[in-house]
Amino acid sequence: MTNETRTQGADKPALIVGVLLLIVAALIGYDASQQTITSNYGVGPTAMPYVVAAGLTILGLAHFVVAFREGLPKPDAADGTALLWIAGGLIFLIACIGLGGGFVIAIAVVFACTARGMGRRALAVDAAIGFVLGLAIFLVFAKVLTLILPAGPLEQLFL
Amino acid sequence: MLTSVLKRGALAAVALAALSTAAFAQVSELKIMAPAAPGGGWDGTARSMQQALTAAGIVKSVQVNNVTGAGGTIGLSQLIGAKGDGHQLMVNGFVMVGAILLNKSPVNLTQVTPIARLTAEAEVIVVPTESPLKSAKDLAERLKADPAKVTWAGGSAGGTDHILAALFAQAVGADAKKINYIPFSGGGEALAAMLGGRVTAGVSGYGEFEGQIKAGKLRVLAVSSGKRLENAPDAPTLKEQGIELELLNWRSVVAPPGLSAEQTKALTDTVEKMVKSKEWQEILKARGWDDSFLAGAAFDSFLKGEIERVSKVMTEVGLVK
Amino acid sequence: METLLSLLHGFTVALEPSKLLFCLIGVFLGTAVGVLPGIGPALTVALLLPVTFKLDPAGSLIMFAGIYYGGMYGGSTTAILLNAPGESASLATALEGSKMAKAGRGGPALATSAIGSFVAGLIATIGLAFLAPWLVEVAVKFGPWDYFALMIVAFVTVSATFGDSPLRGLTSLFIGIALGLIGIDKLTGQARLTFGVPELLNGVEVTTLAVGLFAVGEAFYVASKRSHAPEEIIPIKGSLWMTKEDWKRSWAPWLRGTAFGFPIGALPAGGAEVPTFLSYSTEKRLCKYPDEFGKGAIEGVAGPEAANNASAAGTLVPLLTLGLPTSATAAIMLAGFQQYGLNPGPLLFAEKPDLVWGLIASLFIANVMLVILNLPLIGLWVRLLAIPQPWLYAGIVVFATMGTLAVNGSPVELAMLFIFGFIGYLMRRYDYPVAPMVVGLILGPMAEQQLRRALQISLGDPMILLENPISATLLGIAALALIAPFAMKGLNRFKASED
Repeated sequence: MTNETRTQGADKPALIVGVLLLIVAALIGYDASQQTITSNYGVGPTAMPYVVAAGLTILGLAHFVVAFREGLPKPDAADGTALLWIAGGLIFLIACIGLGGGFVIAIAVVFACTARGMGRRALAVDAAIGFVLGLAIFLVFAKVLTLILPAGPLEQLFL
Repeated sequence: MLTSVLKRGALAAVALAALSTAAFAQVSELKIMAPAAPGGGWDGTARSMQQALTAAGIVKSVQVNNVTGAGGTIGLSQLIGAKGDGHQLMVNGFVMVGAILLNKSPVNLTQVTPIARLTAEAEVIVVPTESPLKSAKDLAERLKADPAKVTWAGGSAGGTDHILAALFAQAVGADAKKINYIPFSGGGEALAAMLGGRVTAGVSGYGEFEGQIKAGKLRVLAVSSGKRLENAPDAPTLKEQGIELELLNWRSVVAPPGLSAEQTKALTDTVEKMVKSKEWQEILKARGWDDSFLAGAAFDSFLKGEIERVSKVMTEVGLVK
Repeated sequence: METLLSLLHGFTVALEPSKLLFCLIGVFLGTAVGVLPGIGPALTVALLLPVTFKLDPAGSLIMFAGIYYGGMYGGSTTAILLNAPGESASLATALEGSKMAKAGRGGPALATSAIGSFVAGLIATIGLAFLAPWLVEVAVKFGPWDYFALMIVAFVTVSATFGDSPLRGLTSLFIGIALGLIGIDKLTGQARLTFGVPELLNGVEVTTLAVGLFAVGEAFYVASKRSHAPEEIIPIKGSLWMTKEDWKRSWAPWLRGTAFGFPIGALPAGGAEVPTFLSYSTEKRLCKYPDEFGKGAIEGVAGPEAANNASAAGTLVPLLTLGLPTSATAAIMLAGFQQYGLNPGPLLFAEKPDLVWGLIASLFIANVMLVILNLPLIGLWVRLLAIPQPWLYAGIVVFATMGTLAVNGSPVELAMLFIFGFIGYLMRRYDYPVAPMVVGLILGPMAEQQLRRALQISLGDPMILLENPISATLLGIAALALIAPFAMKGLNRFKASED
């Protein structure tokens, strides 16, 4: 907004954060405007959302200013493959639990994928370790704490 | 601590069931869902049932699972999804009736197979001992004069305490829409607000206030049951004071929809057997819960009545639009 | 004097071999479950309730108290070693503790937290025995307006966790407050920001956010840098035990932490989080080595951990004297009392002095047992960090998942854990501090509810905040804390320009 001499433009990450903050602020404001029920006395359920939305708007605008000035700290290069391994493991976990595949298999995969993301190259061994770990956790929870973690066909064998 | 009506009803139901069934149908394994986090009231009921059922040898294997969220309505929709499963029960209670309305839940309690009501607790309306209010009538007068100036402390919005306060306002002819009800998280905080003298009146289950009532720091204006409580014989009921209102915070078990008559009977028999067991009675005593067993058609119509009553008052108070 | 005699009598009860055994089982169980994220003492006691109701009341209550204290000890272990705060009260401990652990100072961090917990537990339990009736009188005087003012003080001190950019710190904080809006509004029962997803009605779980941002986010970050700038974890550097210097730097934070934790814990809506935040920021301001904060300053572990434990003892004040359960664990303990037909409160002291004083005495014993149990374990715990890095982080992610699933086994909750983990990664990448977000999630809803309760009682008049002496004083302190740094800066500049 201020620095007109810089031609190479603004710091992209800061701009993106600014835009995201404005979107979140708009969402919160919209949601509050849709509330139908208010309190009889004092302030209602919409007051705080409006305050937060206003705060986020100011912070979003401040990010724009920063974008045209110093920008956000420049990060180091990131290893995308490693991130994908861990994210993939977690997404499998969510799907596995959601579709009733059970805790133990989900944990085995998460363990193996995270270890792979951290640089190990022994998926099968790690999956086996994860499997034993998951089974042990499941059994301790089920037998000692009487808490049943999400159970699939495999877990049913042990209950 | 029970109303005579409830007790008689329960006895009648037990007697009837005993007559009509020569032999109990059996369920060999059972899943009980507590639609709340471990540690809460519904969870406690589910785990106590598990304990009684297995210790008394009624069911060999009982599993408790917790499905958290949204006042129990997430658990409810899962139960409805398990159509035709005759080996599953879910614990629920009065609070769920309000939560369904409040959360605009797409599923509701008319979609399940009602099995039985198990326990019930009376609510009390209390004031700090220094309060000039001496009876429910005094409170009613104050409420009619200016509902804004009467601040109520109790549990969550749309919960049993809130509904009692609203029904009270209606019953005494005050404007229920204008009640100044302040929800606190948990009985402790509401109790602190009472002891600090910052609110006019408090509403809660009798158990939560019992210690302070006995210590003389709180005065009971009324109990919400139809009959005086055994352990607080001095506290008058609302009806005795000319206020036509009776409310109990009950807990029950329900089963998935689409059960055959035999499946329903097997589950009902199992629960009934448990209720009559020595083990269950011991648990009730230890936990301070009151037996208010009601099953079959009687529970069915009771549940319908409660749903109707709660939706009416919640709409009138403006909790639901 | 009378109290002292009662307490001595309590010790004769608590020192019976059977009671000692219950106490030992309790502290052992408590430490074990405290280590698991998501599984706290409240859950453990709840799960044990049905099993214990045939046991002797004094014995099982002593066991519950042991679990309670033990859980507080155990919680700090994962926060320090794995950067996975399993409960909101050990968040502040994780900030410095995990940095210390990575630099090979996990031993001293665990030691200062164990000894700090012991010191705090000891002082707070003495406070419980001697000051309870008096303290509780003050505590119930706290109204919603006073709590609101206390939250404001806590909010002001959050800036201590901001790092070097106020803009990025505030952004993190506001996102946290925004997350706190999600779910059912406690005062009207209205759903806010749930977008029709029923799983969101219960709001965002603090442990899900904290474990996601801290533990999962860290795993992402370390993995992304591994190929060019591998992270180094040094299991042990120097002494496993606290050095003389460590002792010198720890004792005052222990005492100050206790001074925050005990009274605030005794407030019916005080909680354990606010004192830990207050302690963290106080230590940061008072520390002689402010540069070390954010890199593993021992004061930042000693203070909050003492505050955490002192507040646990503080919670027992309203529970025993009034029967007021002010935390999840206290509520479950109350249920424990009630299953034996006992109602905590003034009458209980008169009717069952053996039981009450036996319980208080056993708290002292539990405290001693815990420090004896925990100190030798430190060597074992620290060795966890020697596990090869891929397995260590895989284990941390498994641990985080397990904690989330134990509390709420829905895929939506897991998806949140994943998203928070990724946000935590991005925040680390662009140097946004993650702690303020969790603080916002904890304090935001508390502050909002208390303010709205206050205004509901005053029928909308905001002057109620200034008319009450406690809230007015607290707001004054908050204003001072806000202005003071700027004033100091201005003063320094003024002095500098004079030279």
